[in-house]
Amino acid sequence: MPIGGFVVHVQPEEKEELLRELSRHPQVEVFGHDEKGHLIVVLETETSEEMEALVEELSRLRGVINFNLAYLHAEDEVKKIEAGEIKPEIRFHRLRPEESS
Amino acid sequence: MALSRREFLKRTAALTAASLVGMNLPLKVDRAQADADRWVRGTCRFCGVGCRVELGIKDGRPVAIRGVPQSRTNMGYLCMKGMLFYQLMRHPDRLTKPLYRESKKEKFREISWEEALSIAAKKFAESIKNHGPDSVAYYGSGQALTEETYLFQKIMRAGLRTNNVEGNPRLCMASAVGGYITSFGADEPIGSYADIEQAFCFFIIGSNMAEAHPVLFRRVMRRKLDNPREVTVINADPRRSPTSRIADIHLQFKPGTDLALLNAMAYVIVEEKLYNEDFLNNYCTFRVGKEKKEVSFEDYKKFISAYTPEKAADICGGNITPDLIRKVARIFATSPATMSLWTMGINQRIRGVWANNLIHNLHLLTGQLCRPGADSFSLTGQPNACGGVREGGGLCHILPGHRPVKVDKLRHEVEDLWGVPRGRIPAKPGYHTIAMFSAVNEGKIKAIWINCTSPAQSLPNCDKYRKGMAREDVFIIVTDIFPTKTTELANLILPTAFHFEKTGVFGCTERRSQLTLKAIDPPGEAKPEVWIAREWALKLAEELNDPVIKKCVEPFLGLEPGYELPKAIWTEYTQKLTAGRDNDLRGATYEVLQQLPDGVQWPAPTKEWALKGGTYKKFVRGLDPLADEHAIDEKPYQFYGPAHKDHKLWVWLRPYKGPAEEPDAEYPFYLSTGRVIDHWHTSSMTGRIKELMRANPYAYIEINPKDAQRLGIKPGDMVLVETRRGKNILPAKVYEGPMEGMVFVYWYDMAEDRMINRVTKDAFDPGSKEPEFKICACRIKRLSGPKPLKPYLVRL
Repeated sequence: MPIGGFVVHVQPEEKEELLRELSRHPQVEVFGHDEKGHLIVVLETETSEEMEALVEELSRLRGVINFNLAYLHAEDEVKKIEAGEIKPEIRFHRLRPEESS
Repeated sequence: MALSRREFLKRTAALTAASLVGMNLPLKVDRAQADADRWVRGTCRFCGVGCRVELGIKDGRPVAIRGVPQSRTNMGYLCMKGMLFYQLMRHPDRLTKPLYRESKKEKFREISWEEALSIAAKKFAESIKNHGPDSVAYYGSGQALTEETYLFQKIMRAGLRTNNVEGNPRLCMASAVGGYITSFGADEPIGSYADIEQAFCFFIIGSNMAEAHPVLFRRVMRRKLDNPREVTVINADPRRSPTSRIADIHLQFKPGTDLALLNAMAYVIVEEKLYNEDFLNNYCTFRVGKEKKEVSFEDYKKFISAYTPEKAADICGGNITPDLIRKVARIFATSPATMSLWTMGINQRIRGVWANNLIHNLHLLTGQLCRPGADSFSLTGQPNACGGVREGGGLCHILPGHRPVKVDKLRHEVEDLWGVPRGRIPAKPGYHTIAMFSAVNEGKIKAIWINCTSPAQSLPNCDKYRKGMAREDVFIIVTDIFPTKTTELANLILPTAFHFEKTGVFGCTERRSQLTLKAIDPPGEAKPEVWIAREWALKLAEELNDPVIKKCVEPFLGLEPGYELPKAIWTEYTQKLTAGRDNDLRGATYEVLQQLPDGVQWPAPTKEWALKGGTYKKFVRGLDPLADEHAIDEKPYQFYGPAHKDHKLWVWLRPYKGPAEEPDAEYPFYLSTGRVIDHWHTSSMTGRIKELMRANPYAYIEINPKDAQRLGIKPGDMVLVETRRGKNILPAKVYEGPMEGMVFVYWYDMAEDRMINRVTKDAFDPGSKEPEFKICACRIKRLSGPKPLKPYLVRL
């Protein structure tokens, strides 16, 4: 399962409310925060796409300015991709060939 | 007690993140546990910011990614969008074997590399023999490595004697090139990202950098948050975006009225005498027209007097008022340091060069340039549009080292450096992108090599050009890692190595060249492009019985393709072709690039200078070695750019010009497009997300709530979008994003119904030849309620 370490920049006056909001998400763990409005957040999701969607959702919470990744580990996922168990969306405007039926 | 692997990785993730902001977390990890066997350094593959990353390899697999904290571009921060590139490295759909079909009606069959390269050479040779050198073309990419672009263009120009060398940066930043050359006499920004931390006013126009360049935007916002009263963020954009939501002031104007807005800001600066007389006297002249005629400041004042804020507010519409124009002009002019930032909203216009000129004008009038924090800074969309295509000779009119093809002296210089006979490179520039694909349509181009890009999807009004690409008498070679809309039209598909599967340099937005090292082998028989180009050239030399073609690749024969070959190409390019040019990269050898955590900003003529990181600010004596070398007087700034022999910056008199196609009674809406990648989104994270993601994302049409209400369109409804060129059917996103009277569509979706470039307009800037993707007229109509959509799939 992908694990991502993030620095979240938030408006300091919104920090407390955001911490409460984030504590409601089972996939989110806050490891620390400071008075400048930095939160150290670790996300754990089933897939990277899910993490991306979660990041996008959390980015829209009130007071969040920026959601920056510092570290991403996805060993299990790469193994699953290799084994053909998951097939990630292809980026950079490329296509996915149709699976042979 | 030993931690579980999961707990160990979570702690590692937290500690890595905390280290970027100097936070001490009360966590310990056992150093005996390892998250990866080794880390290989490179640059992100995604956008033009040039974030430095390390790819973690375990058991030969890419398993992890982390930012490089010492990097001056991203300081260790990354964005989620860019990071998922590692998934592609082990993707089962990668192209792994050369594929060929004689006719586009046939199915592809697998062939050997030997056969593939022979066919590629034979087809190009046949075309040249029967129809001349200009019947062949290369269409490259701002995502290709510099070594790749450089080698391909060398083979095309000196080997095959054609300047039909183009690349997709024509579609995104040619207007920025034109703007820099005409205003400052030299391409690419004067300043750097480092100006962000010293700026007091940010003027962000035609750019949604919060989403498109989030890691750089973090620096803007950090600057603002640390100095909330002193720093002002102004965003000018017809569409409300995450960038404008965070800005202090959002100027919302009708699409295509930016020239009026910018001239009106200049009006206020002149009227209220907010200009910097010393700067103008010392460093600037005023110019007008095609003849670049020099005129006086008085002439400029007379010209600008037509652009009163009242008149501009009338033209611009939206929330623009005369007072608002006055207010932002005053902030721009009087802030201790103003930095402008822009992207496609300014460049993709039929007067994109003028729009660039008018932004530069504001900096020239006010002297907001060359000082810390003051700069006119164009952002780049692709990771190597600057380094590879702009600097490496990847456009039809420029040779490597910012040399215009048509200048005899410079062309001969290149021929001499390559050791090919003088006269080998034609004097006439080749086809620019739209002309190139028009020539394909007309059957003038018989063989084209398309590398690392998909024009069948990314050209405006693309149906028109797909017809040409589908012609049986046009032979198309595509080099790529996956099937694309363009491989559907190819005869020969050559599988290439992806990022971190080969070695090479990307040059990012701020004149910075950074090396990415090969970390793993490419899958199957996929090969690095430099190997493909070299082997192809050898076969071409045989087919055409022309030793000069072989001469083009002679310095690279026999070299191992993973590292030694790109290194030799980079060495030739930097040591020979950039020597003495304004993008002098002689100091930035592979050894130096490997030593530095980030890379080198040119000019960097020596290793000593390169090891310091190179030049943070061009044209400033003491900061830029070439400013000292080319100094003509004692003044602190020396504008030695190759295009302005007078060593001056030029303030341009550029009149207002609207878009090529404005809304009318028949097509009453503005249609604008963007490259924001969005996904299906629910308001809560549930188990559904996974299925939704699997169902594949697709493009929406963003509609202003007021327009939606008037037309009876509800969120998710299927909407027909029609322009004079065609129609699309897209689901609606009712959203306070585009202004009233404007709709916005993402352009990444490849489903025929939702492929927006089938309807965009291919009018282009007469100077930069960059098309006006951003604006055309359309009408919209509700077709039905929400419908389940299927992802687009293609069979080879």
